[in-house]
Amino acid sequence: MTRTIAFDKRSRQQTHFTTCYMCACRCGIKVTIESNKVRFIQGNLNHPVNKGVLCAKGSAGIMKQYSAAKLKKPLMRRPGSERGAADFVEIEWDDALDIVAARLAKIRSTNPTQLAFFTGRDQMQALSGLWAQQFGTPNWAAHGGFCSVNMAVAGLYTIGYSFWEFGAPDWDHAKYFLLWGVAEDHSSNPIKIGLEKLKRRGAKFVSINPVRTGYSAIADEWLPIRPGTDGLLALAIVHVLLKRGLIDWEFLIRYTNAPWLVVQTPGIAGDGLFARDGQDNPLVWDQQAQKVVNGLQPEIAPALFATVRLDDGRFARSVFALATERYLDDRYSPEHVAAECGVAAETITRIAHEMAHVAFNQAVELPIRWTDMHGRTHDKVVGRPVAMYAMRGISAHSNGFHTCRALHLIQMLLGALDGPGNFRARAPYPRRIPMRSLPENDPAVIFAPDTPLKRMPNGNPTRPEDLVIDKNGKPMRIDKAYSWEAPLSPHGLMHMVITNAANGDPYPIDTLLLFMANMAWNSTMNTAEVREMLVRKDEHGEYAIPFLVVVDAFHSETVNFADLVLPDTTYLERYDAISLLDRPISEPDAAGDAIRHPVLELDRDVRPWQDVLVELASRLKFPAFTAADGSPKFSDYKDFIVNYEKFPGIGFLAGWRGVDGKSSLRGAPNPKQWEKYIENQSFFSYRWPDNMRYYKFANKDYLEFAEKNALFGTPPAAVIMQMYSEPLQKFRLAGQGLYDGPQPSSATDRERLAKYFDPLPFWYEPLESARISRTEFPLHAITQRPMMMYHSWDSQNAWLRQIISENFLYMNRGTAARLGLADFDWVWVESHHGRLRCQLKTMEGCEANTVWTWNAVGRQAGTAGLNNDASEATAGFLLNHLISELLPHSRGEDRRLTNSDPVTGQAAWFDLRVKVSKCAPGETGIWPRFAAAERLPGDDGRRPATWRYHTVPAS
Amino acid sequence: MRLGLVIDLDTCVGCHACATACKEWNASSPVGGPLSDYEPFGPKPSGVWFNRVRHYEVGEYPENKTINFPMSCMHCVDADCVTVCPTGASYKRDDGIVLVDQDKCMGCNLCAWACPYGARELDAATGTMKKCTLCVDRINDELLPPEERQPACVLACPTHARFFGDFDDPESEVSRLTAERGGFGLLPELAYAPVNQYLPPRELKAVIGPDEVKALLERGLASLASPLIRR
Amino acid sequence: MKPSLSIIFFTVSSGAGLGLLALLALADLFDHALPSAALLQGIALALVLVLAGLASSVLHLAKPANAWRAFARFRSSWLSREAVFSACLVPLALAYGALAWTDEAGPVSIVAALCAMVLSWAVLFSTAMIYASLKPIRQWYGWWTPINYLLLGHWSGAVMLLGLARVHATHERSFGWLAGALGVAALIAKIGHSRAIVAGAPDALTLERAIGVNEGVRPPGMTVARARLFDVGHSHGTFLTDEFGFILARRHALALRIAALTAGFVVPEAWIVSGAAGAPLAWLAGIACVGGLLAERWLFFAEAQHTVRLYHGAPRT
Repeated sequence: MTRTIAFDKRSRQQTHFTTCYMCACRCGIKVTIESNKVRFIQGNLNHPVNKGVLCAKGSAGIMKQYSAAKLKKPLMRRPGSERGAADFVEIEWDDALDIVAARLAKIRSTNPTQLAFFTGRDQMQALSGLWAQQFGTPNWAAHGGFCSVNMAVAGLYTIGYSFWEFGAPDWDHAKYFLLWGVAEDHSSNPIKIGLEKLKRRGAKFVSINPVRTGYSAIADEWLPIRPGTDGLLALAIVHVLLKRGLIDWEFLIRYTNAPWLVVQTPGIAGDGLFARDGQDNPLVWDQQAQKVVNGLQPEIAPALFATVRLDDGRFARSVFALATERYLDDRYSPEHVAAECGVAAETITRIAHEMAHVAFNQAVELPIRWTDMHGRTHDKVVGRPVAMYAMRGISAHSNGFHTCRALHLIQMLLGALDGPGNFRARAPYPRRIPMRSLPENDPAVIFAPDTPLKRMPNGNPTRPEDLVIDKNGKPMRIDKAYSWEAPLSPHGLMHMVITNAANGDPYPIDTLLLFMANMAWNSTMNTAEVREMLVRKDEHGEYAIPFLVVVDAFHSETVNFADLVLPDTTYLERYDAISLLDRPISEPDAAGDAIRHPVLELDRDVRPWQDVLVELASRLKFPAFTAADGSPKFSDYKDFIVNYEKFPGIGFLAGWRGVDGKSSLRGAPNPKQWEKYIENQSFFSYRWPDNMRYYKFANKDYLEFAEKNALFGTPPAAVIMQMYSEPLQKFRLAGQGLYDGPQPSSATDRERLAKYFDPLPFWYEPLESARISRTEFPLHAITQRPMMMYHSWDSQNAWLRQIISENFLYMNRGTAARLGLADFDWVWVESHHGRLRCQLKTMEGCEANTVWTWNAVGRQAGTAGLNNDASEATAGFLLNHLISELLPHSRGEDRRLTNSDPVTGQAAWFDLRVKVSKCAPGETGIWPRFAAAERLPGDDGRRPATWRYHTVPAS
Repeated sequence: MRLGLVIDLDTCVGCHACATACKEWNASSPVGGPLSDYEPFGPKPSGVWFNRVRHYEVGEYPENKTINFPMSCMHCVDADCVTVCPTGASYKRDDGIVLVDQDKCMGCNLCAWACPYGARELDAATGTMKKCTLCVDRINDELLPPEERQPACVLACPTHARFFGDFDDPESEVSRLTAERGGFGLLPELAYAPVNQYLPPRELKAVIGPDEVKALLERGLASLASPLIRR
Repeated sequence: MKPSLSIIFFTVSSGAGLGLLALLALADLFDHALPSAALLQGIALALVLVLAGLASSVLHLAKPANAWRAFARFRSSWLSREAVFSACLVPLALAYGALAWTDEAGPVSIVAALCAMVLSWAVLFSTAMIYASLKPIRQWYGWWTPINYLLLGHWSGAVMLLGLARVHATHERSFGWLAGALGVAALIAKIGHSRAIVAGAPDALTLERAIGVNEGVRPPGMTVARARLFDVGHSHGTFLTDEFGFILARRHALALRIAALTAGFVVPEAWIVSGAAGAPLAWLAGIACVGGLLAERWLFFAEAQHTVRLYHGAPRT
């Protein structure tokens, strides 16, 4: 029988296209509105990123929008109350802005470095970085320093693009795919879409991960790797490939610096740098001419193995000769690394053979004509269809930079880069190596009042002169980025800001402005002490960090510490530009950008942060925001996005430029640009013609076109991949006292430079484990991001928290049995730094020496709009309590060092080593616990016992 | 007509997209919703969901596998939940979809007892049983563009691990997938003839055999005699 | 299964009432074995027990306003049949009671008695079949359930009937033998049921079968594999865990079983055998019997394992 079915009343509904913001994937969504409420959020079938699909977070957007954690009005700490007590009074926006503007004006006109402006999970770094540059403070970075800078810098200094957002695997042609250290990460929905394609086409999917959940669950082969040893596995693969000659000679010679000659003068300045001619060209040994020649010329036949005597008498060896010598050493043989990394020697060898077989015997040929940078035309594109992707499991280690370079080395050896079936670049990459933007480091500029920086606060150092240090070698940034302690740190070290500011090291600051970052909770190491540092007072009874401004849309643990809270909108209530100047939504085959626009009216007194930034920029009369007559150039953020030009014709949004809206990528500002985007489902996609799609790093048509449209620097030039990284060697020389320029005065810094700034990738034991007793702390402790929650953004989501609102420590079942532990035992988990108590669960799919938990599930009671007895507070815990932002002291070191990668400053979250023991009877309950936060003004703490969300009006 | 779903266990990564897409669609669906949430901000949040994803491990470390397992109403051919229902609230349509008529249900729970798969949940606020409707209000809504006339879970699934169609049509995608991949229904012993079919994980054949390894190594060895290659 | 007190009370109370009514009618048909006062009291008691049970069962409903619809699916649903038969039985029993009160004999009262007996059996059987027809619950599915249900209902009814007989000092020996024999039969059937459940355990459904390990849901290259739950997909409870997640500790099961045995069988049988007269002891025996059967029925629910438990990680049902 069939009874009648009722349908949605479409006539009552409106649909809008915008962009999701539940994570940094930026999927296109279609939002259905009914009765001014959200009826349904689904993926946009036409959107290049997600093509209609939508993950659990995006599909739960309704509960984000109606979360009880939404901030409602600017808040000020009640005068006389203690910071951290969350004793707030509501204030008006005008007053809040007056307070901030006045304070910032004072800072700017006295000592701009007193402002530290750090942004968390935002997607507007181009704007906030510009703002900081205009303010004149170097103390700006986004959160990459504690997130993924290792991947970014390793990639950008090696292949010209990188894992994570600047590249993507070619899911359509790859026949072999390795996923290194990825749980749920960007870009998540494209990875999901892509994995299904691989499986459907019978491509092999190998996952290298200590835990078998999520993506690893569907891998054809799972390699349970010991955390921090991926570099060993990678270099053992390199060993096998080199030993067996399983390499792409042509690729190495044409597209990498493998043939370049490296000066060999140990103990003398210049050692380890490239041999260059008078025009600074790197030299190679030409096998045909039988002499040393400029290595950048076409039609020469460079030798990969060469030891030569240069004209000036110095000896030089080719990069490849140095590399082979290192990686063929027994130290990197599969037999040698197997025990350390946990992958059997036969497996390593087999995987290497499989990769080589696919790369060389199953090459993909596409009948596409393309022209290389020497003007030679090729009638086909050949792809060696081995693809890779890697993220946090590589990045969050103090050896992550070199490990990531080791992965790129494998790609270079196989010739598996930016061809069909490879990991391919996404606009605005590839770029030259390294990019030529340097961080501002002139103290005269940095400390100059009321003056913008000449350069951006962030950049890509290539030598010691580029560091942001004073003439005594002391860091000039509050996070000590671009200092001897973390020289190549283009993403800053946000995880050190509060510690350094509280300690006045290198100097005290006045105002800390945090946007969308939960630094008082899950985004910080050493949570309890960082919270204490936020409220630490000096000997005069003043706060060590005098003024703290927190900007966020939702109530977080960090909001409670603010002196001033500036509430932001949700993603359905704002304009945003997801820009090619920033972190766009490009694919390998198309440049792309996107917008958000409001689909709901604001129902509370909050403002989009970008509008506030533009307003403050106008009030403070930043030159880029101020017209010649002193009036504001831009009325608001929308106006800024349309009319701001970084270079002539280059603005934040690349689509529908020109007064007629008909230009792409470059063109005059189009006053109707927002409207065009909204008409076109909120995204813009510029498909590369076939001849520009592949081998972009050597593709003449692509590089010239990119240069014209500011997607590549001037002049366009082939990007030669840097197997050997000369910038690293320069820093190493400085550490060895062999550099004709700045050198560190601290012996500790010198040692670190000498050891870690190896121009070729190598593996070393993660710093923490080298400094603690591995018998006392035998287990590795890591976290994974669950697929349905994004950092601490989703405990407030009434649907998602039904899926997960408490967490356990997972351990391999066999290991647990050995330790006398069973499911649901209460255990102490201890590191060199601290301890916590939680419940254990056992599982099969966990590397035997690893324990792990889900990231950021635990919350402080009373935050995120939850009841005080929410299980996130009573049964959720953070591993962060066990992680110190400083390494244990090692003998001879003149100070405690940051718990970060010594090259990039990347926070080494996953270096954590612990021991796990059963609690005594009666020792139960999560520990440590934090007192419940106070309710914000206007929140009576009452929450519905039952919630029946719907938009259908009562009939 | 036998409408139902195919769920591919080879590609399900356990992301819960299907579960939340279903939840949000049915929250405001005139057929299914609203779906109650209890203590949404409290210590034991729970609620009515039509689709749930559970996760299992099979085998022992290190030869273990993780299986992510979404389950919702199977729209069985011999649906005992319909048989046992005293009020006739539980009924099976001609197109195969099993539904609960919210006006008739008296909330006796018997259908939930009869369902081996846990497809039905009581909504305490209405006192009625609720379950997957196979998005009957999407698949038949002619005001939706054709490509969107699919269950919300199928549209959302990021790994395309869910398919919707008519199992009585041998040319349909669901029929073909079931035949090609060895799709199976759960607990066939109980003779409910569940219509939803699960596809087992694919077994990949070896990438390279011993002869091929030998050839590969020979070639590689030969290549080591530094060839003359031009830039 | 979550032992629902309202359902447990319903089945035991109405079971006793229906058993009593059937036996009263049977005795009546046989021989007008009871004086009309006793018959009337018996019918009244039976009706009270049945109505109390039915009221309790309505309490179990989440939307009792729709309870009237329960008659709709007589053709397929045992619960519907139970409702229909109960709806026929109650007025009939009232009529039968009225006849008893007027002390009418003759064909009308014979028909009434016959109908009362048959309808009582029909309701008893239908109620039992509600449980016995549920394939996902191995412990309930099959003929043991209606056998036990009928015997237990008649046993408790027989104890009450004997009580009436002894109070009215009529046919005590016959009803004593009837009750005693029914008690023994019910106990044997209960033991039989328990043993059948244990015997069926090796063939019980397992988690491996539930997720399709046999159909290929396993690591590559393996033919068999053990399965375990990694994560159930929600941090707290759901309707399913509430309704089907109940776990009974073995020591509690043992204690309850002993209580059920003692109160439900030993005490009443002892009273039967003792031949003791008097209302107080009769009430005691009846209450003990019902109390013991409540414990037994509670165990019936608590020890039932629904297949959905497999999906929540139970290794077998």
